[in-house]
Amino acid sequence: MINATDQDRYNRLKKTSTIHYNMEVKQVLAEIIDDFPDKISGMEYFYNKFKPLETDESLYPKDKKLIASMCIHVPIEIIHALDATAVRICSGAYSADTAGSDFLPAKICPMVKSTLGALYLDMLPGNAIPDLVINPTTCDQKKKMGEMGDDINKEFYTLEVPPSKDSEEARQYWQRTVKKLVKKLEKVTGNRLTRRKLKKSIKSIAQAQAEFRRFMRIRKEAPVIFGKDALLITNTYFFDNIDSWRENLAILNNELEERIEKEITVAKSRAPRILLTGSPSIFPNMRTPILLEKLGGIVVYEEFCSSSRMLNDTVAVDEWFLYDMVPAVADRYLKPSTCPNFTPNDDRIRKILLAMKDYKVDGVVYQTLTGCQLYDMEARKIGKALENEGYPVLNVELDYNPKDSGQLTTRLEAFLESIKDQKRKN
Amino acid sequence: MKKIKIIQYINNSNVSRFRTIIQIAFFLLFVYGGYFFINAGQNLPTFACPYNPGSPGTCYLISAQHNLHATWDQLFSFRGLGFVTGLGSFVLFFIIFNKAWCGYACPLGTIQDWITRLRKLTLIRFTRYDEISFKRLSKVKYVFLALLILIPLGMSNSFFGLPEISHDMGAPFCQICPGRTVLPLFSGDTSQLFIDFTTTTTIVMSSLGILFMALFFVGSFFKKRFFCFFCPMSALQYLFSKIGILRLVKDGSKCTKCGNCSRVCDVGITAIADDITSKNIVKDDCMMCFKCVEACPEKGALDVKFFNLKVFSSTEEGFFKRYGQDDSLTSNKKKDD
Repeated sequence: MINATDQDRYNRLKKTSTIHYNMEVKQVLAEIIDDFPDKISGMEYFYNKFKPLETDESLYPKDKKLIASMCIHVPIEIIHALDATAVRICSGAYSADTAGSDFLPAKICPMVKSTLGALYLDMLPGNAIPDLVINPTTCDQKKKMGEMGDDINKEFYTLEVPPSKDSEEARQYWQRTVKKLVKKLEKVTGNRLTRRKLKKSIKSIAQAQAEFRRFMRIRKEAPVIFGKDALLITNTYFFDNIDSWRENLAILNNELEERIEKEITVAKSRAPRILLTGSPSIFPNMRTPILLEKLGGIVVYEEFCSSSRMLNDTVAVDEWFLYDMVPAVADRYLKPSTCPNFTPNDDRIRKILLAMKDYKVDGVVYQTLTGCQLYDMEARKIGKALENEGYPVLNVELDYNPKDSGQLTTRLEAFLESIKDQKRKN
Repeated sequence: MKKIKIIQYINNSNVSRFRTIIQIAFFLLFVYGGYFFINAGQNLPTFACPYNPGSPGTCYLISAQHNLHATWDQLFSFRGLGFVTGLGSFVLFFIIFNKAWCGYACPLGTIQDWITRLRKLTLIRFTRYDEISFKRLSKVKYVFLALLILIPLGMSNSFFGLPEISHDMGAPFCQICPGRTVLPLFSGDTSQLFIDFTTTTTIVMSSLGILFMALFFVGSFFKKRFFCFFCPMSALQYLFSKIGILRLVKDGSKCTKCGNCSRVCDVGITAIADDITSKNIVKDDCMMCFKCVEACPEKGALDVKFFNLKVFSSTEEGFFKRYGQDDSLTSNKKKDD
């Protein structure tokens, strides 16, 4: 943005993208809310979080620094403990994809392009203006995206994630990385990490996780909520205040438990139960779950980094001092992660296989975003492991362009039909 | 319904707090029991040290060293019977609680846990061994065990035509064991704190004894359960751990390898998290304190079993009760307020 023409071009791009974004959001929200007759009142809070904003003002506390993060490897506990706001900015918007294409090659993952575009155009959730963007070195595309900071006028911080997680070396390296991050964040926020604050933040996130696990137990028990709604809930966790997120999830959980008692379900008991995995579905890129559920299936578990992988795993501390708490927080973001950037990643197979039994899943839909190599390359191994156990798997590839839904619909429909057939036979 | 309530109550409970109390009880028993005319026998699978005037019994290591101080002929006659019955009663005692003897009953272990509490008050961090040192040092206890068997045999027999070992080496492990030097102190007996200048052997052995006592205190200040890592009792116990009645069982398919268990492990066992194939997850350094079960949020991934009865299991609810609430599992609670 050196001269006036560039500035002018930027303004125009921002304006059109914002209009497109608002249209996109409205359309997807309408699909999620209006196309399904049964309304759960506890979902209202979460739906509202995605409605287009009337203002250009940031919705976050102005006296706090705002730290943007990507992926699931950024230790949120530490950001909160330093009195900063944490917002995960991974984007699912097609309208931001185009802006990102200015900086990145056309053939890479739309999520990365969209995220960069959204950052560039300041189209982040709640109009967040990040003081620092933490960019973990997960996949190659995210890595290289972190070098574009100067182009889009944002400060990036590279969080070095090791390529493997099982070795002691990787663990040591990662713990050092996190300690370094603490220093950087202390500098950016101007606050010092204290034992009391970190402990409080670990506990408050643990409470949110406990509520999330309760939500998952409810889903295990009966089909009382759709996967598209579950994904919106976890998606809200990206940018919401953790305490109010937890409280509202608790309200929803109570409602769902009542529904179980009254035997009000959103899907028929014979509806194919689907596990969704692969590249994450992030609002408004919700096509796969919406289509699956419109076509009579129900998504009962999402093995996504926008969902269970982000929230399931916990921090355990032995001695509640900084010397043990910081490494404990670091461990939680490395060891149980099933992100495909790690090799080997057999834990992901085990996790999916366990969920297949726990959630009585009938079939798996494996979604890959065009250009997302890591998920694409793991698809075969996971597909094989699932087929060995006798589960049907459907691999779908999609990008953020909502226009190419036709083929996806046909394939999902056929997949669901074959599962229904199978169920009828048994 | 009532049964479910009880199980839930136990699984939500704070075992570490329960353990602290049991440890005190056992400490009183094994350090002062003798004053109350308790006799627990000669073959205890824990450090009840007869050098301590208050001890109610004898640690099996001393009996073993004594029994093995015999010629081959004696060993294969009726005296061998003494060894066999001694070992038998040691095993019988041991298998009931398996390695929980270390975590709940051993007075030396308890003292080390107290030293850890002391360290926490000073805000000094603990140390851990790295992976390679852990593997190497973990073998030391087996060397001690082999020596405490071979040296008494070598005192009465000649190995490969070598001269017999000096009788000053009698009960060699006791001479260097911190149990002999530390435990009598609790009965007010300082008579073990000396260097025996009788012969070169006694000078060396009694100096080692004092050195090991110093190492015991300094080591366990910086490293949790420092001595347990080198303890030949632990090595001997582990040989029979497989037939233990109390067991720690893991279901690898439910494990997310999050590492919570190994993170809270006082002896620093990493296999508890990384091993997803073994069912019996008691490793040689394990002292069955069950902190790992407390720290595991996955239902049924870790179970403590007595025979086939689950006595304590990892649960989501229990985990969040212990780790998610602001007021629990924090031994340093007061300092926070």
